[in-house]
Amino acid sequence: MMRAKKARPLTREQYLKKFSRAVRWRLMPQESEEAISDYRELIFQEERDESKLVEELGEPVQAAHLLTDVKAYRQWLKIFAVLAFGLFLLAKWAWMGHSSFYFSFADQWWYPVWVMAVGLALSLYWFRRYGQKNGPLSKRLVLALVVVLAFGAGTMAWNWYVFDSSFLDSYVERYPLIIPWQVILQRELIINGGMICALIALAGLILAKCYDRRWLALYTLAVTVAAVCGFIIFFCRSIDIGYAVRSSAQSYLFARLIPIGAAGLIGTGVALC
Amino acid sequence: MLKKDLLELCLLQLLDGGDKYGYEVLTPLRAAFPDTQESAIYALLRGLGKSGLTSWYMAPGGGGPDRKYYRITSAGQARLEEMRDQWRNMRDAIASFGVE
Repeated sequence: MMRAKKARPLTREQYLKKFSRAVRWRLMPQESEEAISDYRELIFQEERDESKLVEELGEPVQAAHLLTDVKAYRQWLKIFAVLAFGLFLLAKWAWMGHSSFYFSFADQWWYPVWVMAVGLALSLYWFRRYGQKNGPLSKRLVLALVVVLAFGAGTMAWNWYVFDSSFLDSYVERYPLIIPWQVILQRELIINGGMICALIALAGLILAKCYDRRWLALYTLAVTVAAVCGFIIFFCRSIDIGYAVRSSAQSYLFARLIPIGAAGLIGTGVALC
Repeated sequence: MLKKDLLELCLLQLLDGGDKYGYEVLTPLRAAFPDTQESAIYALLRGLGKSGLTSWYMAPGGGGPDRKYYRITSAGQARLEEMRDQWRNMRDAIASFGVE
């Protein structure tokens, strides 16, 4: 049993806030909401002396720890570590434009797609099995999905335009030493977009664990956009814009990007169900 | 019997005397076991609920918001009886050594 430690004064609201944060991370949404509701009742009892909250109830994190199913929590931490590492790689690749490791059997532009595939399969498996829905679909989630989807579609459309052979021909032949603003914008979109989408995916993952598993849809969509950005970045870094490449770059790229995007959209739909 | 078992015995015994809300359960147990924090007793109470030994319902509190009341189930009563027997055996065993 837990022994009393030196008490650190916390107000009722501070205690409940810390406890809620800890318990939401450790327990499943329904269980955590139940525990938070019980603690709210215990903490806001009229007879309760606020100055003795920590002394009587224990530190909020310790209180959450006591309610934790250690085996399930460790399993979640392992899953989270793998998924977060994948997002770190996507953000790093978007920023650096190259990978520090190389597999001879595949072009580098496929690496982000592998990360996306592992992320989608692992997260969908875990959250469909252990995650919980919690109330009606959040409007914030819908808004976030619309924003990420619009960004993804806009980036794809802009790349379609930039990789068009007539555009590539005109700028390479006319201004071989100048990078046109369209290409600068495309580069900024995929570099910053890849990094930001990796961060959004991380937020989606945390929200899916803490509040409602349908937030995983944000993870799946954002990780797809980040993987698409990574694919384009690696592809741009690897190709030499000769005539043959210019004429086939758009069709080569989009014949691959469209199935990748479709897989991400299907994953997003599954996460929302 | 470990301290956890003693706490469980007291908890079930307390609920056997009538339905109680959280604070009513935790306060006397903390008074009886002062080195145990309420969060540990709450975790035990929650564990009993998961095992089907207790159940709960919401009912109006004294003028305030609804409170969560805990009640002992028939499985809980069977477990209480079993623990009472264990406690009596242990008490007799200890008494046989001359411990008052």
